[in-house]
Amino acid sequence: MIDVGRLCVKIAGRDAGKKCVVIEVLDNKFVLIDGETRRRKCNIIHLEPLDETISVEKGVSHIAVVDAFKKLGIELVEQKSKKKTVRPRTLRRSKLAEKPAELKATLVPKPSTKDVTSVVANVEKSPVAKKPRKKSVEKAVEEKK
Amino acid sequence: MVEGKLRSRTFRRIKVKTPGARVTVHYRRRKPNFAECGNCGVRLKAVPRALPFELKNMPKSAKRPERPFGGVLCSACMRAEIVARVRND
Ligand SMILES: [Zn+2]
Repeated sequence: MIDVGRLCVKIAGRDAGKKCVVIEVLDNKFVLIDGETRRRKCNIIHLEPLDETISVEKGVSHIAVVDAFKKLGIELVEQKSKKKTVRPRTLRRSKLAEKPAELKATLVPKPSTKDVTSVVANVEKSPVAKKPRKKSVEKAVEEKK
Repeated sequence: MVEGKLRSRTFRRIKVKTPGARVTVHYRRRKPNFAECGNCGVRLKAVPRALPFELKNMPKSAKRPERPFGGVLCSACMRAEIVARVRND
């Protein structure tokens, strides 16, 4: 029943319910499958064979399988892995000087903190009314003296 | 005496040792029941017994298996369901 070109439905795992075609029979237990599922080795007890067969050779490429599925009226959606977005890394000015010129283009110096400190200093200078001490605390302070 | 709603056993009681070395009773919501298969009623694995606010911060893949009917049917019932659908078509 399960031989090269047999159309199957996978019934286990995250690809369950998806159609696939047997590409290669590895032994009496495992086959290689491709199609709506990922291209992978699969135990035959995890496959439900269908009546249809596709004329594919043993070990065909994924592109050929995509074409074969198109003839059946099944469009395979290519799932590309996400590309890493290149973020500008922040580096200290002192370290930036040591780096070679090619790296400098991708690296961005840290924003200077000078402006922030000036703001903080202004805030500290502004007069803030001191909280009046509690009477009990005042007594304790006096006793210590 | 604590307020009325805490006197029933709706909340579970937890003994907490305070900084003053006193043991007090705190009240927490009880955990929900185990998730069960919608078909055969067996306990589902990989579905956490957590309160809604705990589930909210969990990733989707930590809350149920990543397969069709994950978190609803057990794997055996899911396979039987898919096979039945394939054979009927
Ligand atoms: Zn079940």
